[in-house]
Parts: sequence; structure tokens; C-alpha cells
Amino acid sequence: MNNKQIQTYSLGFLGITLFTFALTQLPDSIHIFQSDRAVMFALLLTIIMVMLNEVKQARISSDSIFLRTIPGLKAVEEAVGRSTEMGRPILYVPGIMDMNEVETVAGVIILGHVAQMTAQYETSLDVPVARSIVMQAARESCKEAYLTQGRPEMFNEDMVHYITDDQFAYAAGVNGIMQRDKPAACMYMGKFYAESLLFAETGNSIGAIQIAGTASQAQIPFFVTACDYTLMGEEYFAASAYLSRKPELIAGVKTQDMVKLMLISFIGVALLSRALSDLGLTSFNLLTWLGL
Amino acid sequence: MKFLEDMILKFGSVDRRFIFLLIGLAVFIPLLRPIDLPIRTTPTTERVYNAIDAIPANSKVLMSFDYGPSTKPEIHPMTLGVMRQLLRKDHQIYITCLWPDGLYMALDALEEINKEFDLVEYEDYVLLGFRPGNEAIVKGLASDLRKVYTVDSKGTMLADIPMMDGVNNLKDFQFIFTGSAGYPGTFEWVQYGGDPTGVPLSSGTTSIQVNEVMPYVQSGQVRGILAGMPGAAEYEKLIGTPGIAIQGMAAQSFAHLVIVLFIVLGNLAYFITERRERKY
Amino acid sequence: MFLKRYIPIGIVAFFGSLTLFGWFIENKSVESFINDDATQWYDIIASFAIFLGALNLLKLQFLKVVKRKQGWQYSVVAITSFFFAFTIGFFMKGAFFVGEDVYFTQKAAEQAVLVSGSSESVIPVEWGAHISAEGGLFKWMFDSIFTPLSATMFALLAFYVASASYRAFRARNFEATLLLLAGIIIMLGRVPVGSLITPWMVMYLLVFVGTIFMSTYFRDRKLIFGSFVLGLLGVTALGINMDWNPTQPAIFFLPSLQEWIYTVPNLAGARAIMIGIGLGIIVTSLRYIFGLEKSYIGDQ
Repeated sequence: MNNKQIQTYSLGFLGITLFTFALTQLPDSIHIFQSDRAVMFALLLTIIMVMLNEVKQARISSDSIFLRTIPGLKAVEEAVGRSTEMGRPILYVPGIMDMNEVETVAGVIILGHVAQMTAQYETSLDVPVARSIVMQAARESCKEAYLTQGRPEMFNEDMVHYITDDQFAYAAGVNGIMQRDKPAACMYMGKFYAESLLFAETGNSIGAIQIAGTASQAQIPFFVTACDYTLMGEEYFAASAYLSRKPELIAGVKTQDMVKLMLISFIGVALLSRALSDLGLTSFNLLTWLGL
Repeated sequence: MKFLEDMILKFGSVDRRFIFLLIGLAVFIPLLRPIDLPIRTTPTTERVYNAIDAIPANSKVLMSFDYGPSTKPEIHPMTLGVMRQLLRKDHQIYITCLWPDGLYMALDALEEINKEFDLVEYEDYVLLGFRPGNEAIVKGLASDLRKVYTVDSKGTMLADIPMMDGVNNLKDFQFIFTGSAGYPGTFEWVQYGGDPTGVPLSSGTTSIQVNEVMPYVQSGQVRGILAGMPGAAEYEKLIGTPGIAIQGMAAQSFAHLVIVLFIVLGNLAYFITERRERKY
Repeated sequence: MFLKRYIPIGIVAFFGSLTLFGWFIENKSVESFINDDATQWYDIIASFAIFLGALNLLKLQFLKVVKRKQGWQYSVVAITSFFFAFTIGFFMKGAFFVGEDVYFTQKAAEQAVLVSGSSESVIPVEWGAHISAEGGLFKWMFDSIFTPLSATMFALLAFYVASASYRAFRARNFEATLLLLAGIIIMLGRVPVGSLITPWMVMYLLVFVGTIFMSTYFRDRKLIFGSFVLGLLGVTALGINMDWNPTQPAIFFLPSLQEWIYTVPNLAGARAIMIGIGLGIIVTSLRYIFGLEKSYIGDQ
């Protein structure tokens, strides 16, 4: 981080603090700000400031932002290639939840990138979904991907099809598709619950290469155990940036890392403050002062 | 020695259907011939029991049935146990369901409990039923229950139910318990129900969810947790009424033993293979 | 272009910002919209959208039957089941009371009254309550068909966990060994069988395993044998000293060790992952709100 950036962030943070303080001091007649949430508000504005600044820097700068290799994402193209060689379809499962989940939206976005690859390689793609709105969004994403690759004739609406809303009925349906069609590659990208292991084990039994990505904490161990590659938590949200290589999206990933660094520093300082307070060396406790 | 090594190598590459068969037998046989195993209670289960025990007499308790038939073996014994403990102290139970299947689970639980307690509807319990909306329902209950429910599951107007007098939002309850198998469930109740209103909240979840809920338990936002079937069995022991959870523990124990045995054999086979490959 | 691209982005930006910043605003209308209306609007849209999914499902299944594709017989089952559930949910009450008894159809109820010669009248259940009426058709379908099928699919997990663990838990390196050991401790510690395994059995087992491990590094048999005997004597002496307490030392008692793993390292890791995921969700959501990410509307 260069001096100019440090200056920008310091001024920005000062401005946010003053603005938040000003909001808490509004007279009662126009007081519409929830003062007990001031710290959260300041943190949110800080994240927005960092993100917008990083995006701006990414757009004007000629230097590319470093993004470490994520094996699971590198393997996506490999998996598509494998399916093309074997003449078997690719199965893509965008999770079992609806578009109100950020994970599902991320899954549909990654589907767009996978669809671009399948359009390029002329591989068939099968996307069974568990929600009608996801079906529509996934269709749009696939259609646009095929159009971008100049292969609109290869797109078929029925490649994205609805099975059922019910969790285990959906799992049974997808397992049936796997057993019958024997896809060469299975990708599970989205929000999952207990059916994750059902998918992964069935995929394993048919010899498919499996790539999973989820932020569902409880399901990550199952995917790690049964799949060839797993994108865990933040790696999954970085997938879109990784696959598209768009600077503004990679800047978003950098923002995440910067905010994490800020949080780690804050935890350290808060820990120290609490320790000193508990030991009686000082009466000041940062967490109590911030109302957390 | 070589014979033993060869035997272990055979087990190391066994067909998975053989594993399925052994798991099936490990679960099935103890269910047919019940075996008594000692149940040791854990602090998280004890916290739930103590939290419910500490509810002032004749209180109003909200129970949410947020699970379906697939997770019934794990969570149903918990909800039955909690209902027993509540009814023994003459608390009134108000039942909501965030899952559509939860309504049927609640009906089954009431039918089961009715055999012991001779329940009177609208005196001992009110089955408010299922409403679609996930966390919006919890938020709605926290602000105005009457906006979310105008009638109960049978179509009776809430205004005509004496037990509903003075019950307008979550703050009118003295305790909340949720039997949760996923979304919506414990997290939504903590974030939109228990935390904002300050009403004590406990939960029973599937074993796999416990990991995610533990931070809330440690911070005190959830008063203990019943963790899967072992948690349900511990709870049955604490309330002194053995049920299907305790019966199921023998099956679960033997299934775990079989899995561990295969893991050990698999690793032994792996080491033997490695050693032989190194030799050559 | 304008309709397809900018209006959706505008809608996302407006409602996203309103929901996000509305949490900090003290205003009844805004709070009411965020807490109640926003999620209910979504649920209403999703509920109507189910028709799209259902029609798509029926279309594909019908095509399979008409074209006699492989497995078309299962499509017949799927279509039949769909209409069966649809009919009994929307068009049939399925519960007609004659006193305590319940019949699926009015005709059956009237027949029963005729046969028994009783003076009781046939009382149909109310619409809405018909899906939960005990003894009714819909509840019968739920109890007899849906529940066993759901339970069966969930039960498959027990078998799949076993085969997945068997295949994946190999001590290939340090991290894999740690995973393996933690898995075994948790699996045994969580169930009653874990309480039956005393810490002393675990300590003897460790002495045994330690000796095998030593033998891979040291060739001196006297040293190995001596360490083995020393280990056994040490555990025995400690056991006699502690009266063979069945739950101490706690570090070797599987249930206690399991609890510690759950509440200390596991919880720490879970919290860290949760924070990371939370941050990922925040930044990803902000990308959607600020229009930086538009792929979900098909804009590559």
C-alpha cells in the first residue's frame, strides 16, 4: 500500500467517523438514526469505501492484482475438457436454495462461466435446479454465455430444468440423473444441506471428476472428503473474480482481505484492552466503550 | 505375518457394498435386541435442562417445530422430552412451525404426549401451525404475533382462544425452544427472535448443525443445545423418561464402531501397501 | 437493452440499499418494510414462480413418455404422483367425519353410516384444515408415502458416511492424520460406547502404537522392547496410583477429549470460517448492490 492510499484511507475513515458521530447527534425532531448501531454503520461505510477505492484503483492501474491459484477453479476447465473427450455431459448443481441466498447467486454466476466453456468445447451441460426462480436466472446466465461464445444454436432451454423444491426428493432426482446419464464431471456450487454427501458419493461411484464450492460450513467437510476439489467459503465467493479476471471483481477479493486484516488488528487491540482491563492495569475497555 | 498382512490388504480394498451391509447389520441388530448402554450427560444438554427447569411456574413457552420426517429420529425425541418437562410444570405451550412438515411433526408429538398427559387444547397448548415466510415469520412474531397468525391450525380465530389473551409478540413468552433441522431454524430464531427480544432461547438440532450453533451457545445467546440423537438421549435421561433416543444409542454406537474399525483397517492396509512399495 | 440491463440493476441497487441501510434508520415504515414486507414480497413471487417449475417438470416428463425415451415408465410414475398430490391437496377434502371415524370420501362416509345404521351425520373437514386432519387423505399420503421416502433418503447418509470415511481417512500426511484422529475421537466420544472405553485402555493402546512407530525408526530391539515394557509399567503404576479411575486422566477419556475438541479447536476454527464467510457474503452482496457484478442477469 503506497502513501497516497494510506492517506486516502485515513481521510476516508476520519470522514466516516465524523459523519457517523454527526448522525448520532441529530436533534430529536429529525433523529432517524439508530445510535446503538453506530459502530456497525461506520464499519459498513468503511468496507464500502475500501471496496470502491480498490475498484477505482484496479480500473485505472495497469498492474494486475495478485490472486493466488485456487486448484478447484483451475480444475474447472480440466473437467470440461475431460467431459468433451469422453463425450459425456457435465452436471452442474447450483445448490438447493433460492436466489435470496448470496451463495445461490454466486453459483449461478459461476454457471455462466462454465457455460461459456461448454459452449466453446461443445459439451452438453445439465443443470437440474430445485427452485423456479433459480431456473429462470440460470437459463438467462447460460443463454447469455452461449450467445457470447457465438453458439446460440447450442443453447437449449431444457438444459436447465426444474426437479422439485423438496430437499431429498431433489437429491433423489439428481442421483438418478447421475446414475443414468453418467456425467464425466459433476460440479456442486451453491448452498447445500444434508444432501451434499448424497451427491458427492454418488458422483464418486460413477467415476466423475467432482468440484464443489460452498459457504455452508457444515457441508464443507463432506465435500472435502468425497470430492476431488473443494472451494471453501471465501474461495467460493472469489470464484467469479478468478474465472472472469475482471479487475473490479478481483478488487472485491482484495477488499475482503483488507477488511479481514482490519478485523484481525481490531481483535488484537480489543484483546489487549480487555486483558489490561481485567488485570486492573487500566479502567478502559475498548469493547465496552464501543458498546459491543 | 504375511498371511495377516494379506488379510488386512483384502479389507483395505473391500467393496463398499460390504461396508453398507455391515453398517446395516450394526444398526439393525441392536434395534431388534436392545442393549442398555450408560448415557453420560454433557454440559450443553444440562444447560438446556436447567434453563427449562428455571422457567417460572405457569409460564407461556413457544415451541417451534422446524424439522421434517427425514430428521424426525434425531429431533422428535428432543421435542417430546421438552414438552414432557414443560407439561410437568404446568407451563402452557404455543406451537409454531417454520417448515410445512413441522405441522405434521407437531401433530405427531401432541398425539404421543396426549397418551401421558391427557392434554386439553386451548388450555394446555395452542397449535398455531405453519406460515410461509421463513425468517419473516420470526420477525413478525417478534413485533406483532396477530399480524402473522389470525387463526390457529384448525381455523379458530385467535381472539376466540382464551389462552391467547395477552399474547401479542415474542416478549409475552417466557421461553422459546426450537427443534431445528436447517433453514429456517435456530439461526433465524437467535437473530430475529431471541436476541432482539431478550427472551431465553434453547434449541435442539441435528448433529451436523451443532458446529455452526456452538458459537451462539458459548456466547449465551442460546441456552445450551441438544446435539443430535446423543443429545436427545441425554435429555431423556435427565427428565427420567427413556425413549427412542436412548434406544437408538446402541445402534449408533455400533455403527460408529464399525466405521472406526474400517478406517483402522483401511489405514493398516495403506501402511502395508506403502511399505511393500518402498521395498520394491 | 435498457429494459434488460439497467432496470434490473437499478431495482437491485435500490432495494439492496434500502434493506441494507434501512437497518440503521429509525422509522416505522422502513422497519416494517424490511422486517415484514420485503421477505414476504419475495415469498409471494417465489410461490407464484413454482408454476414455472411445475410446468417445466411436466413438459419434460411428458416428452419422455411421448418419445418413449429410456426410463419413460418412471416419468409415468412422476406425472401420476404429481397429479395425485395436486388433486388431493387442492380439490379433495379427503376427510369426512362420522363421529370419531374418518373417511377419505363422502360416499364412503355415507356408506358407513348406512351400514352401521347410526344417526350420526357426515361432517366434512374445513378447507385448509384438510391437509392436517388426522385420518384424512392428505395426512395419509404424508405419513405413508412422503415420510418413509424422506427418511430413506436421509438414512442413505449413514451408509455414505461410512464409505466416504473409509475411503478418505488415510494418514497420508500430518494434516490427514490429525483429521483421522480427531474423527475417530469424536465418533467414539459422542456415543455411549466411548464412555465404556476407559482412559487406561487408551493409554495402553498408545504405548502399543508408540512402540510400533518407534520400530520404524530404531532397529535396536532391546531399546524398543525396553521402551514398551517401561510404557506398560508406567501406565500400570499410574493406574494403581489413581485407583483405575474410569474417567481420569481426562485427556485420555474419549468423551472429555471429544468435548474439548468440540468446544476449543473446533469452535475456534468454526468461528474463523464463519467470519471469513460472513465477509465474503458482505463484499459479494455489495458487488451486486453497486452493480459491479451483473452476471446473474446474464450480463457477461
